[in-house]
Amino acid sequence: MMSSIKEQFNQISPSEFFYSNRDLAGFSNPTRSLYTAVREFVENSLDACDQKGILPEVHLTIKAVESEKPDPKQYVLTVKDNGPGVYAEHIPLAFGTVLYGSKFGLKQARGMFGLGATMAILYGQITTNKPVIVKSSADGKTQDEFEILLDIQKNKPVILKHSTKEVSKNGLSISICLEGDYSKAGTKIRDYVYETSLITPYATITFDDPKGQKFHHPRFVKEIPPPPTIIKPHPHGIDVERIRRMIVESQFEIPIIDDTMIEKVRKDLGLSKQNLSFIAIIAKAKKKWKTLSRQVRVVIALMSFLKMDFEKLRKIRIEDLDIPNKKLYYWDFGDSQSKSIDIDPESQYYKQLTNTVQGEPLTTFLTKRFQRIGPTTAVKFADFAGFKPEKRMGTMTNQELVQLSDSLQKFEDFLSPDPSCLAPLGEVPLEKGIKKFFNPDFTAVVQRPASAYSGFPFIVEMGIAYGGDIKSGGPHVYRYANRIPLLYDEGSDVVLKVVNETDWGRYKVKGDPPFIIVSHICSTRIPYKTAGKENVADRPEIERELRLALQFLSRKLAAYMSKKGQVEMAKKRANLYAKYIPLIAQFCTELAGKKKEPNYKKMLEGEAIVENK
Amino acid sequence: MKTSEKSKRLSKKAEEKQKNVLEVLQTHGAKIYEDLNNGQFPKFSVPSRSVSNIVYDKKLRQYILGNSAALRSSRNSSQLRSFTQLMWLAFFANRLTKEKKSSTLRDVYYSSQAFAIEFEDQGESDNIIVDLEAVLSKPREDFHIFPEERSSIFGDLNIEYTIPGYEGKTMNLSNHPDGYSIGPSLTTSELLDTSAEIVIAIEKGGLFTRFVEEQVDKKFKSIIINTGGQAPRSTRTLLKRLHDEMGLPIIVLTDGDVYGEHIAMVIKSGSANAAHLRELTVPDAKWVGVWATDIEKFKLPTIPMTESDIKRCYDLQKDPRYQEGIWKKELDVFLRIKRKAELEAFSKYGLTNITDKYLPQKLELAKSI
Repeated sequence: MMSSIKEQFNQISPSEFFYSNRDLAGFSNPTRSLYTAVREFVENSLDACDQKGILPEVHLTIKAVESEKPDPKQYVLTVKDNGPGVYAEHIPLAFGTVLYGSKFGLKQARGMFGLGATMAILYGQITTNKPVIVKSSADGKTQDEFEILLDIQKNKPVILKHSTKEVSKNGLSISICLEGDYSKAGTKIRDYVYETSLITPYATITFDDPKGQKFHHPRFVKEIPPPPTIIKPHPHGIDVERIRRMIVESQFEIPIIDDTMIEKVRKDLGLSKQNLSFIAIIAKAKKKWKTLSRQVRVVIALMSFLKMDFEKLRKIRIEDLDIPNKKLYYWDFGDSQSKSIDIDPESQYYKQLTNTVQGEPLTTFLTKRFQRIGPTTAVKFADFAGFKPEKRMGTMTNQELVQLSDSLQKFEDFLSPDPSCLAPLGEVPLEKGIKKFFNPDFTAVVQRPASAYSGFPFIVEMGIAYGGDIKSGGPHVYRYANRIPLLYDEGSDVVLKVVNETDWGRYKVKGDPPFIIVSHICSTRIPYKTAGKENVADRPEIERELRLALQFLSRKLAAYMSKKGQVEMAKKRANLYAKYIPLIAQFCTELAGKKKEPNYKKMLEGEAIVENK
Repeated sequence: MKTSEKSKRLSKKAEEKQKNVLEVLQTHGAKIYEDLNNGQFPKFSVPSRSVSNIVYDKKLRQYILGNSAALRSSRNSSQLRSFTQLMWLAFFANRLTKEKKSSTLRDVYYSSQAFAIEFEDQGESDNIIVDLEAVLSKPREDFHIFPEERSSIFGDLNIEYTIPGYEGKTMNLSNHPDGYSIGPSLTTSELLDTSAEIVIAIEKGGLFTRFVEEQVDKKFKSIIINTGGQAPRSTRTLLKRLHDEMGLPIIVLTDGDVYGEHIAMVIKSGSANAAHLRELTVPDAKWVGVWATDIEKFKLPTIPMTESDIKRCYDLQKDPRYQEGIWKKELDVFLRIKRKAELEAFSKYGLTNITDKYLPQKLELAKSI
């Protein structure tokens, strides 16, 4: 997905890309766009705080530019946080260009590439032609304020204003002007803020809405859940494009031979102060070969073909190593021209160079770049996939890459994905949140053990609550994915599917019950049905975990309901006795021809005590 | 003189009956009073009236309830309401009987509301009345609750009322040609004397009027009773008393179909619905017509039997009472000819044909069966 976006970016302007993808990204109309922009900024703030272990304080403000005008109209959207901030030198690029090629780390986060926030900025600029205002302090002392427009054609920031001032706190504030429709989007935005604070109980979130209302959700949990660790990908969750990228990353480039590098080589050879001839250098290197680092070895190998000492080496720059034609090209600063020499395949240094550009052997590639693959599994896999274990990654043809990718999907002996990259909320904070929000009579939560689909680990957390402040007509389902509330398109969501397929009568839940279900799916990749991130597709593995979680909770609910039923029954029975026994007493007194009624009072009291047990 | 003595004896008997009802009610009341006083939830058993517990008693020649009984406990919250309803009804019946006031089924339903006893509908209160009958083994008429349906009686019979306000007043039941309706006052009255030698129970009001017009009462020294279809229980009680107390034979004349045959059977041996009661049958009553065989014999105009008529025949064939005698024989013929004839069919041969020709033959026959 990412790499296909990247390719498009390379070909078309970001503006064009934005227009052709605005529906997918959630900027289809003023209502949806306002909501999506809020989400993107709030989620960026929360992610930034999470990454640095800061208890988030996020302040969201939406203000109409001209409040009397009817919707849709221009709004100023500001999101301010107490996060780590962004260093001044990065701000123009981070907020004034459409980012691509951002680091593909594998861990759970609300947003993946920071692309959504850029989309929001772009949407704002396109609809109002106003700059984004970024205020940031990364050191807690100085704050940099930028007004930036995006040069859409060149994909470059245009800084309109830059000033600094002294502050006492870290944090970032982003403010954009955009066309929106708050009268329609308001409900969703308020729901979003409300539901976000349920799943982020360690954050304080404040929302000032355009009508002057303030929604304040203070944190009620003091501990941030343990942050996820960045881990290597699992072979099942990989495609050809990812492999290609990884090969590019893994290939050892010929090091840039500048003064620093030359100093390093000299030092490693113990020749810092000495100027030796080329032959002497090579001889010295041979002696110390085993202790030399890879980079140094490559430099020595180059020197052996170039037949140059350090002084000469300083005056050239390596241009290319053409293995098939066995030629080495370099630029000679002295003559100001490109030169080439033949390299001898018989030389002991030949292999050093070819290996460098041809990359690692397959087995090394697998064990070093993927999670949970050991040398034995790597060899077994190579056999399964039909490759030699020592096959160099740099020599793979396109066809071989496809074959490798297919085999990685099919091979079944890989261990299941490592869940340490996931950051579930945890049962205790989830339960606390549910209790605080709904004040229910009954609550149960569960965190399922980690599982995986297509190589992506995931964890399902779920809570169920009944009674209290909960409205009847349940189950009301609150869906979350990676701590993001999902508010749109619930109809086709896998969670809803699982809930709707449950026969609640079996769990003694009948009629118009006041109960809620909170479902949280954490994964390095949530299988959203659309790029708008609103509904989760029904992967069988996820569906199964959801079902198990719901069954577990439903059984607890059923136990509560039957206990509740018994208490109600006892109450009802006591009421019945209180109503009818006196009547029976009255009638039988006359029938028996007695004057005084029998003493039945103690009997009713005794009954009440027995029932209460 | 003789009648007066008899009257006194009978009057005493009626009083005894009342006393007996009151005693039974008091016994039950006292037991429940004791239970409550001892801090226990009162309970009593009600004979089960489910189909499986209704059996035919050959000796008694009627349906009776078997041995199974349901325990009704006030501790059981699902029975508490009906328990209280039953207690109220006993309480209400006690008052009725003591004050010699009569009430109808519908009355009971409404009276309950004065005591905050809610019956959902009359069906529910009727059911509780049957429960009380079963518990006391006494028909509801004994505790002064009467049905709405009325049938009528005509003939030379002197009665003496026992109901409050009419005590000692006498009446001859041949004074009014439309007949007298058989209600609580008649059912509870003393039967003094009669010149009649037989009771003719006839199914239909139209024929009853014809019989009065044709002076069947005088011509055949009879008391004529219109059962109005299936005889109500008060009528059956009266028939039983006429038979037992006055020594009169009872004959039953019905339409010539399977329902008519069964009307006669219910008078003779009761219904499954009243299997919990034993005072309602006249085992010596005789069904004299219209028989299936009469249809051919008297060449009566007929109508074909319906599906439900035929089904009813098959149902009755399984009834132990239809296994012998004319009961079996006529049922078989009905099933064979699959046709039926009404009492009015005799009008084909003249309006008085039934009283002039048919009835005398049947009366003669009745002596021999």
